[in-house]
Amino acid sequence: MAEAEDESAKPKPRPIIRLGLFLISHSFVVSVVCCAAGVFALLLLPVLAKNTYISENALMPGSASPMLSNDDVSRARAFVNKVVSFDTKSDSSSIGLQELVAQHITDLGGEVNFHRFLPQVNKFNPLHFFSSPDQGIVQENYSCSSYGINTVGFIRAPNGDGKEAIVLVTPYNSVKTSTGEALSLGIAYSIFSLLTRVTWLAKDIIWLAADSQHGEYAAVAAWLREYHTPSFGGSGRGVFESNASPTTGEKRHNDFLRAGTMAAALVIKVTDGSEKAERDVLNLYAEASNGQMPNLDLINVVNYLAVNGQGLRVKVEKLGSLLDSWWLRSLGELFQKLGKVARSLNPQWNFGISVAEYIEGTATLASSLYNQALGVPTGPHGVFRDYQVDAITMEISSKRLANYKNRPSELLLQGGRLVEGVIRSVNNLLEKFHQSFFLYLLTSPNRFVSVGVYMIPFALLVAPLPMVAASLFADASRRNSGMENKEVTTFPASSDIPAITFGSWRWLHAAKTVFIVHFWGAVVTLLPHFLSLVPDSAPLTNLITWIVLSASSLLILQVILGSSFTLPSMTHTRGMEWTLLKSVTIAFACTGLCIMSVINFATAEMGALMLVPMCLMSRPLRLDAKAKTLKSFLRAGCNVVLTFMFFPPVTYYLWKGALVGLDNARIGDFWNWVESLWTWNSATYIYVCMVHLPCWVLCVHTLVYPC
Amino acid sequence: MKEEKQQNISTKKPRFWRWTVASIIFRLILIYFPKNLNLATRPEVSTPVTSLRRLAEGYWLTQSLMSPYAGSMYHGSPLLLSVLGPLTMKKIEEQPFHLLCSLVSVIADFICAMLIRATGLKLRMTYCERLKLLGLGKLFEVSEILPSEDIAALVYLWNPFTIVTCVGFNTTPVENLFIILSLYGACIRVAPLAAFGWVIASHLSLYPAILIIPVILLLGNGPDATPRKLFLMCKKDEDDSSSKGRVEQNGLKELKSFSWKPVVLFFVWAFIWTLYVLVLCGIFMRNYGGLSEMFRRTYGFILTVKDLSPNIGVLWYFFAEVFEFFRNFFLIVFHVNILFMILPLAIRLKHRPCFLAFVYMAICSMLKPYPSVGDSALYLALLALFFNELAEMQFSFFLFCGYVGVSLLSPVMHNLWIWRGTGNANFYFATGMAYACFQIVLVVESVSAMLNHDRKIRKLVAAT
Repeated sequence: MAEAEDESAKPKPRPIIRLGLFLISHSFVVSVVCCAAGVFALLLLPVLAKNTYISENALMPGSASPMLSNDDVSRARAFVNKVVSFDTKSDSSSIGLQELVAQHITDLGGEVNFHRFLPQVNKFNPLHFFSSPDQGIVQENYSCSSYGINTVGFIRAPNGDGKEAIVLVTPYNSVKTSTGEALSLGIAYSIFSLLTRVTWLAKDIIWLAADSQHGEYAAVAAWLREYHTPSFGGSGRGVFESNASPTTGEKRHNDFLRAGTMAAALVIKVTDGSEKAERDVLNLYAEASNGQMPNLDLINVVNYLAVNGQGLRVKVEKLGSLLDSWWLRSLGELFQKLGKVARSLNPQWNFGISVAEYIEGTATLASSLYNQALGVPTGPHGVFRDYQVDAITMEISSKRLANYKNRPSELLLQGGRLVEGVIRSVNNLLEKFHQSFFLYLLTSPNRFVSVGVYMIPFALLVAPLPMVAASLFADASRRNSGMENKEVTTFPASSDIPAITFGSWRWLHAAKTVFIVHFWGAVVTLLPHFLSLVPDSAPLTNLITWIVLSASSLLILQVILGSSFTLPSMTHTRGMEWTLLKSVTIAFACTGLCIMSVINFATAEMGALMLVPMCLMSRPLRLDAKAKTLKSFLRAGCNVVLTFMFFPPVTYYLWKGALVGLDNARIGDFWNWVESLWTWNSATYIYVCMVHLPCWVLCVHTLVYPC
Repeated sequence: MKEEKQQNISTKKPRFWRWTVASIIFRLILIYFPKNLNLATRPEVSTPVTSLRRLAEGYWLTQSLMSPYAGSMYHGSPLLLSVLGPLTMKKIEEQPFHLLCSLVSVIADFICAMLIRATGLKLRMTYCERLKLLGLGKLFEVSEILPSEDIAALVYLWNPFTIVTCVGFNTTPVENLFIILSLYGACIRVAPLAAFGWVIASHLSLYPAILIIPVILLLGNGPDATPRKLFLMCKKDEDDSSSKGRVEQNGLKELKSFSWKPVVLFFVWAFIWTLYVLVLCGIFMRNYGGLSEMFRRTYGFILTVKDLSPNIGVLWYFFAEVFEFFRNFFLIVFHVNILFMILPLAIRLKHRPCFLAFVYMAICSMLKPYPSVGDSALYLALLALFFNELAEMQFSFFLFCGYVGVSLLSPVMHNLWIWRGTGNANFYFATGMAYACFQIVLVVESVSAMLNHDRKIRKLVAAT
């Protein structure tokens, strides 16, 4: 960084240093090129996506013919009918449906226990990311009367040692069960009835019929937490378990039952397909909290079996608004043409991609990025990832649901065989999933972009930051030394003794400002926690309080800490301080982005798209106003627009406007969004408050800097 | 790290006390929330050698009449066990267990900072004196000499590494205290105190043993022994000048000899203290296998790198990978590595013993088998003692960013590997390597800045 200082002293530095100096001295061109290349590479990702393949040989999907027979299915059908009719006839007891499920499991020869839980209020825990999930045990107050009751069935594997398990989850609302939920229970039941009889099972099977009256996620989370925190001594356990079945008094297992570590978990759902698809559609949801994904092999297995075995159409979520955008279409055409040209040059260059494929890929990629960046899990499978279990939600969307009474067996058979195939594959596993990727983005169910590829756009975007920081730093120190030389010549009396100047520590002053602002970011992060303690306040009030409190705390911090220290010898270059300040800001933005890219890549990628141009462009407006050229006015205009756009609330509303339209947007929405982020412990929230917002404030500070 | 640099700029005395008190209060607030921070289990903070949780385990074992070293849980000194052990069990008025031990850490930190301040004051006074003697009094007119002792003390107190170590329930603050104590004792040339600090520090964590060289130099030469050549040069120039030359000659005479008396005294006292410590340990260990067992379980554990659980150093990864039959060879290589550097550095930096101590501590914390951020806290504070001399140090901003980046990235990588399962050991080890690299750059840059400073002074002396 400081090599530039003694550039003149050393006649020929080493080549690598010369290269660095060259890059630093041309930092403007380099950063423009890098940023453009970064954005271009991001748009190129769908083209670079590879086809998925099953990496773990032990999985062997589809190698055995499905064993699920019509017998199982007809039994499941009877069960579904009972569930559906049960719902209509009795409203008297709330435990009835669980009891029905439990009774059926016992009849099949499985073990059952009930897990009684309280809906837990999501609490903000900013350190959650750095700690183990087991620490989330919170003392609840048991005054709440509406328990949820999960029914958990177990099959002990005849060939296993009981140390591993596969989990099936069927969320259903015990108060009001829909047809789809009943059918998902039916699918699980059919599998269960098959698996109690098979001999090949090497891992225990757990069927969690999760009571989703307080939300699917909460039910599964409560059960998993209990599963992973064995309590010794037994005090206060009775709350969670019911020893005897509530209605009949029949004796069940006393303990909270467990099987071994979970190899994988499948969440099964059935919904009513409203689309005009000729085949049934299988929707896959995989995003867990903070952009974590299950191992790609799990998705591959499900995809392979669904497409090749059951003839389902597999879909992953897409960002619909991108599908008919003109610029994407023209970009797709460009890539198609380029691909054709490349193939005509060398037939082995096979990266051509059709326009439709490109648009689909981009829409999927955008949705994948968006969901990962939010850091909010897309379904109950998200909880499992917190315990290092690979899980996925399989949502079978069938148009036959409406008239299922006529042909229900087909759906049950199809879904059941699919799940059976997946379980059979996972059953073959010797270790946990580790062969394939954990860090990837999907562009379609069978195409993915791995970490090695998607890091490139990010690296290109972030690369200018250290370079510009170094160049500004070198610039500032050169200017300072120039000034000192001048001073020395003006005071010839002291010229024989060069003073001890803290030349290389001059950045401390700028670092202080940057530190204060980042510290303020931490304060802003914690404020909503205290605001949420105030009961029943409207989102708008909360938002306004938050903003006011934040602004005032910034002022207070500035007064308390800002005036505390000044180094006398560092004050005489006030005019050029902003270059140092910008340099330190950029260095910290770079550090923040790099760390975030490790925690949640998608957030960092999106953050970099906003933060990098804003930080690099910022320059005092007065300097531009003094220059009075077209270029400087353009730059000032750009600066103002960028800073306005990337103020987090403004960004949120713009983003929302682009996606769904601003017609029914309210100002309080932003608060709701933020609240949802922090109740899910999303690292994105911490990123926005502790990296993005401070950098934004520092950019504004640079813009209004008095020169 | 960041905050600590802010403190560098403070100047006035009342402000110093205000910030000292603030740092103590900050610590006291933090030790009430140990569960939320969960620092005691972080590999960056507590190592197998320094963890107080292990010490509590060892104490519990002795309570049930077993050897504290049974079960390979505790690896510290028996003395620490008998002093801190009861505190880990004691409970005052429904407060959590850790409170008393944490209070000991806070007090140790405070004393440490005060000792650093006293050492720094002594160093700065001698530095200014020497400059005046060399006829460089003008230097004070054009540039001001910052109160580096205050800066160093505040750097120590507000360094996040120190705070984290203090709150993190381990014995590092106490070990640091004895290291500083020995340096302080040597600086004010009180041989018994220096010997006491040195013996206890070496007994607790073995590596401070190499501080014997800076301590001897300090005792023999005084805190800032300017090379004699400089005075000769100075004298030659001003041979004809009347009064000033005489003063300097007097100064020269004063400086000339390496005084052996305090050094001999130091050795005598070191012998006495060692004997004392060994006798105490022997009494403690008489039922558990004697002193040899203690040496095997403490120093043996450190030197043979038995525990390969991940930490911020580089040795755990290396010894997890190395073939068993090469193990002894590489153990020797790594430890000789430290010893090899002792002599050349001592020759080159013999005129600045305190700075030499900083370099030794930095090198140790790089090559230790079980390093923690507490070691960095110590050497960073020692570095800040030379804030005036290192004014022209290069790459300071780069190093600062590096330390901040690594200390944030390291827990994230650890989380990715251990809790999320999406990363692997290489992720975490990479941050350990980066940390080691930054430490190397820091040492290299600070040493070269120090030598440049000396060169500059020599030039100035030659010019006048």
